[in-house]
Amino acid sequence: MNAELQRLLDGKIDFEGQKLATTIMNYIIIASTIIAFFAGWALQSLTVTFGIVGLSTLATGLIVGLPWPFFNKHPVPWLPASSKTKTS
Amino acid sequence: MHSIYQRLNSVSALLSTCLLVLLGSIALTTYVHETHPSGTLEISSTKVKLGRMRYQRRMVETAHVKFNYNADLTSLFHWNTKQVFLYLTAEYTNAQGTQNEAVFWDRIVRRKEDANIHIAGGNKYFLKDLTRSFKNATSVTYSMKYNVMPWIGPLTWGEAGRTEALPLPPAQNTV
Repeated sequence: MNAELQRLLDGKIDFEGQKLATTIMNYIIIASTIIAFFAGWALQSLTVTFGIVGLSTLATGLIVGLPWPFFNKHPVPWLPASSKTKTS
Repeated sequence: MHSIYQRLNSVSALLSTCLLVLLGSIALTTYVHETHPSGTLEISSTKVKLGRMRYQRRMVETAHVKFNYNADLTSLFHWNTKQVFLYLTAEYTNAQGTQNEAVFWDRIVRRKEDANIHIAGGNKYFLKDLTRSFKNATSVTYSMKYNVMPWIGPLTWGEAGRTEALPLPPAQNTV
């Protein structure tokens, strides 16, 4: 029970998933900042600018933060357990 | 990036960098927006009264100015304008040769809809000299100035309306 709770809180993903998460995060945050700036300027409204930034931050948190299955498609293959057993 | 905590940490780190750049860019657009405020200021009457101010024993001269002001300040309002502080100053040199610039009326304009201004007004604050007298002072030039307060970025100042130098009338004793 305790280990299961720890696993849920950690939300670990594999190495390929980590690379993908970084890429997604960079794209969404940087793109939304640029879009927010020009959209706000065009509409002459700071509410639009910070609305876009806020919502896209929330979206990034949900997409990147949680351990979705597509971040866990490349599990690391472990070596088979050694047959030798230490006895001492 | 392996755990939820690590990933949220990276998101907030990148976000703070992006926000800083965004705020800087917004502040810079202040200089790109073209502003062309215009206004006409007319002084309809000036009086100088000699009397005692609240609870003071010494006599002091106060100038009472009535003015008409018409202006279109809508161009000062763009996405980064929080409010505009409008203030009326009297510029003169007193008998001792000191240059003075005194504010005796002001108004805060908060919305673009309120930026078309037509006012017939008078003193909001006492206009008096430190020497307590306007005797031998030069003529007074009145000018309406503004201070644009942005949401992000530096304050900017300007002027929208100015009169030529007008002499103050001699003081009338009101006591």
